[in-house]
Amino acid sequence: MNQMKNISGSISRALFVLLVLALSGQVTAQEVSARDTLRTFGPRFGIDLARFIYIFTDPSEIGAEASVDFEIHKNIYPVFELGYNSISESEELFDYSAGGVYARTGMDYNFLPMKDRSVHHSMTIGFRYGMSVFSHSAENVQIANSYWGEYMPEPYENNLTGHWLEIVGGLKTELVPNLFLGWSVRYKILLNPGMDPVMIPELIPGYGTGGENRSFGFSYSILYKIPLLKR
Amino acid sequence: MRMKLRILLFIFAILLSGCVDVEICDNNSDSELVAKFKTVKEGLTSDSTVTALSLYGIREGKSDSLLYNSLSTSGFVVPLNPHLPYSSFVLKIDEQIDTLTIYHHQELYLISYTCGFANMFTLEHLEYDMGMIVKDSILNEMVDAEYESDEEHIWLYL
Repeated sequence: MNQMKNISGSISRALFVLLVLALSGQVTAQEVSARDTLRTFGPRFGIDLARFIYIFTDPSEIGAEASVDFEIHKNIYPVFELGYNSISESEELFDYSAGGVYARTGMDYNFLPMKDRSVHHSMTIGFRYGMSVFSHSAENVQIANSYWGEYMPEPYENNLTGHWLEIVGGLKTELVPNLFLGWSVRYKILLNPGMDPVMIPELIPGYGTGGENRSFGFSYSILYKIPLLKR
Repeated sequence: MRMKLRILLFIFAILLSGCVDVEICDNNSDSELVAKFKTVKEGLTSDSTVTALSLYGIREGKSDSLLYNSLSTSGFVVPLNPHLPYSSFVLKIDEQIDTLTIYHHQELYLISYTCGFANMFTLEHLEYDMGMIVKDSILNEMVDAEYESDEEHIWLYL
């Protein structure tokens, strides 16, 4: 059952990647406009749409993520991301749940050559530091014992904090003025893998499976930039 | 175009490769203690093999069930009791008898999400009072559910 869920989740994610790659074909070079050379600046708020799609592929996992960035200097975008992630699963020998909030902060650098200042497409590479505050628990734990009889210990719960670093690469396309669609792929490095010696977290919100010291992530976001100033 | 197709196939391969991990769980998740018999002759410790060991655990509210029945052996392997802070066993070697009580405490640990939890016991001390066992030594105080063939936790001197 789990394997089927994995396969259907993987296929859905793969189809999602295909769709995004197809869309990404639009941005091959910056368009040139001679009429408008003013560039719009302002905070750009986004939500990760991939999180909502994952609910259909894996209903046991719920999550939401929002982001904000701002071009403070030419091609330099400080980024802040905030999210929530939870999981609830019934394993054969115990019930597991984990949930909590996470935040990431870092910087993106746009390396798409700018031919017109009024065009805001970007192709970025960047880094993040991520931190998650969450709890996880195991209930209805059963430990079979052939001689002394089955043992059912008290539920186990632990409050944890996870830290990780990310290398992020992505692309954002301005569909209409100030409205963007973008995707990013992330390579994540967990900094404190031994945070719980009793039970490795099945989910570190914002990071992924705690049993893997390295992991990949994918976001597909819709973003809106508040045009505060033009210059 | 060909390059793009190759990249897509590569992505598919990576995504699907996550599905082929199949974990096989050991049916026995008991945390078992390994004991060896020893004798001391002229100051030298040596292995001791008994001709007929019978052994059972003292289980409250349950009937006795033999773990060893007149076996010739140089030691024994027994599961520890997760319900109490001690495990008691009756040992009968030939016509001699003794009650061995092993005091311990325990903590949970996760073997894996597929295989579930097990108990990690920490041995504290041993008690026996009938004279068959003359002394003991704890070699490895940690007893978990992963059995290794060369593992030894305690020595019992006869």
